[in-house]
Amino acid sequence: MKKFIIIILAILTITSCKSDDEGSEPTFGNITLDFKNTIENNNIEFETNTYTNGSGETYKISELKYIISNVVLIKANGEEFKYPVDEGYFLINEEGIESKKISLLDIPVGDYTKIRFGVGVDQSKYPLNGMANFIPTAEESGMLWSWSAGYKFIKFEGTYGDTDAPFLIHVGSHGTALDNYKEVTLDLTSTLKVITSKASEIAVNVDVAKIFDSTNTHSFADKSDVQVDPVRAPKIAENISTMFTITGVSN
Amino acid sequence: MKLLSYICIVLFGAACSSEKDDYVSIAENKKLEFTVPANFPEPSYNVSLNPPTEKGFELGKKLFYDGRLSSDGVISCGFCHIQDFAFTHHTHIVSHGVDGALGTRNAQPLHNLAFMKEFTWDGVVTHLDLQPIIPITAEVEMNESFSSIIKKLKDQPEYVKLFSEAFQNKKIDSENMLKALSQFMIMMISADTKYDKIERNEGSVFTDNEAAGFELFKAKCASCHSGTLFTDQSFRNNGLPVDPQYNDAGRNRITGLDEDMHKFKVPSLRNIELTFPYMHDGRLKTLMDVLNHYSDGMVDSETLDPIFKNQNDILGIPMTDIEKEQIIAFLKTLTDDDFLNDDRFSEF
Repeated sequence: MKKFIIIILAILTITSCKSDDEGSEPTFGNITLDFKNTIENNNIEFETNTYTNGSGETYKISELKYIISNVVLIKANGEEFKYPVDEGYFLINEEGIESKKISLLDIPVGDYTKIRFGVGVDQSKYPLNGMANFIPTAEESGMLWSWSAGYKFIKFEGTYGDTDAPFLIHVGSHGTALDNYKEVTLDLTSTLKVITSKASEIAVNVDVAKIFDSTNTHSFADKSDVQVDPVRAPKIAENISTMFTITGVSN
Repeated sequence: MKLLSYICIVLFGAACSSEKDDYVSIAENKKLEFTVPANFPEPSYNVSLNPPTEKGFELGKKLFYDGRLSSDGVISCGFCHIQDFAFTHHTHIVSHGVDGALGTRNAQPLHNLAFMKEFTWDGVVTHLDLQPIIPITAEVEMNESFSSIIKKLKDQPEYVKLFSEAFQNKKIDSENMLKALSQFMIMMISADTKYDKIERNEGSVFTDNEAAGFELFKAKCASCHSGTLFTDQSFRNNGLPVDPQYNDAGRNRITGLDEDMHKFKVPSLRNIELTFPYMHDGRLKTLMDVLNHYSDGMVDSETLDPIFKNQNDILGIPMTDIEKEQIIAFLKTLTDDDFLNDDRFSEF
């Protein structure tokens, strides 16, 4: 009798916390998003290289940073996995090699055929849902517009022309008046297989030249310092949303 | 046998004890009642997503009055937002910051923030939770970074305890810090003025002067200072000559639109008696100065609000001296002594 009771109670003791263990079933895997910032398919080089935009203007780059957020992986049947927003803000910094590889953890095992992500921060996502916890990263890398309590979605700086005059492109949202957050949905070149044993990788090419020349054309002659600009910033934001392509999936 | 059962029961109970402790501490952190005054509109702030609790409020208040939020350890939120003057910086024209730095705008009162849609003089912030980022990080105000503040707070056992009591995830991070500040600020409701008691039929009555002032106010001021919050929350150019020292573009700074040049938020007039000096740059000292500006001091410009343009191109709101006195008598019925002396919001 005693033994029986002990066994029963032992089972109860063990099983009483069962709910804690449910999440640890091996059905999740990790993936990496590998961002490569290029111009004409070559990695961009800061300051040493001179580039020419579609308007025939030469420029050199000294800084390139942007925010990637709200990553969603989509299966062939349309089923979506939304990466947790409170873990889901990433700063891509051309100068920081590690920052260009985003690790996404605990993704349900399965086959995915599309990816969607945001460039910048979705202001409609208030209340904060972890967005505020990106503040320290953003402020350390100069991506916080402190006067507006908002994020710079992209920070692109350098010099242009024969005189090496400075140019500066900072695009973000301000108040309710100007929302420059964009989402991009891309087909994967082949099926992404999320498995538990190893991290699959999605290679993303970022054609930086499209900041100037894509859906819209932007030239330094028009304006070399674009920050809060109700006309140009939305056009550049539109261009930015076209600069991403998937170049490969390795499972 | 009985003993054995007891031991097993204790074991059984202890197996999940860590979870149980959490439930106990959350239960101990009582929710605070957020009551919308009967004569107020629905709040803009979604209170259900950050419901104020005793501990969250206490934490928010502690943060509000803590100089650790600034780089020199001295300038707290409460430094420029003093309760006795409806949380404004008494007699200071523009905000003062670390190392004697001066800002460019007048610190606004803090009250009824849960009912406001946009914040600061130009409306650049659209959610109360994000508003404190500006004064905290502005070089001429508190000049501090969130990373550094979080480090400082983590070193304080009192904060470690309060954060863990106030928030389920127990974390000291930017989000919880801002949420706690909001919990403190949304509770700062000012709705017990003489005006409110009259509006809610609670037995108060206007003096003759105040009553006359109220009628004049409705005719001459209430198109912008409308409703029980005494603001339509719009942005307008009220004809102040541009001060070349600041050359403040107002709302244009955030929209970039020409039409928003020199427009500023229509402020609430609650507790206006105490929130001097007036205007976005604190240029006017008294309420009489303000009314004199509206009657005789306006300057025309492309974006001057058309409401100020009368027939024959005369600018401003015509008012006699007696009318001005009466309007000021009415405005003083918007002073809320209960709010100004409410211990819940006091530093000490």
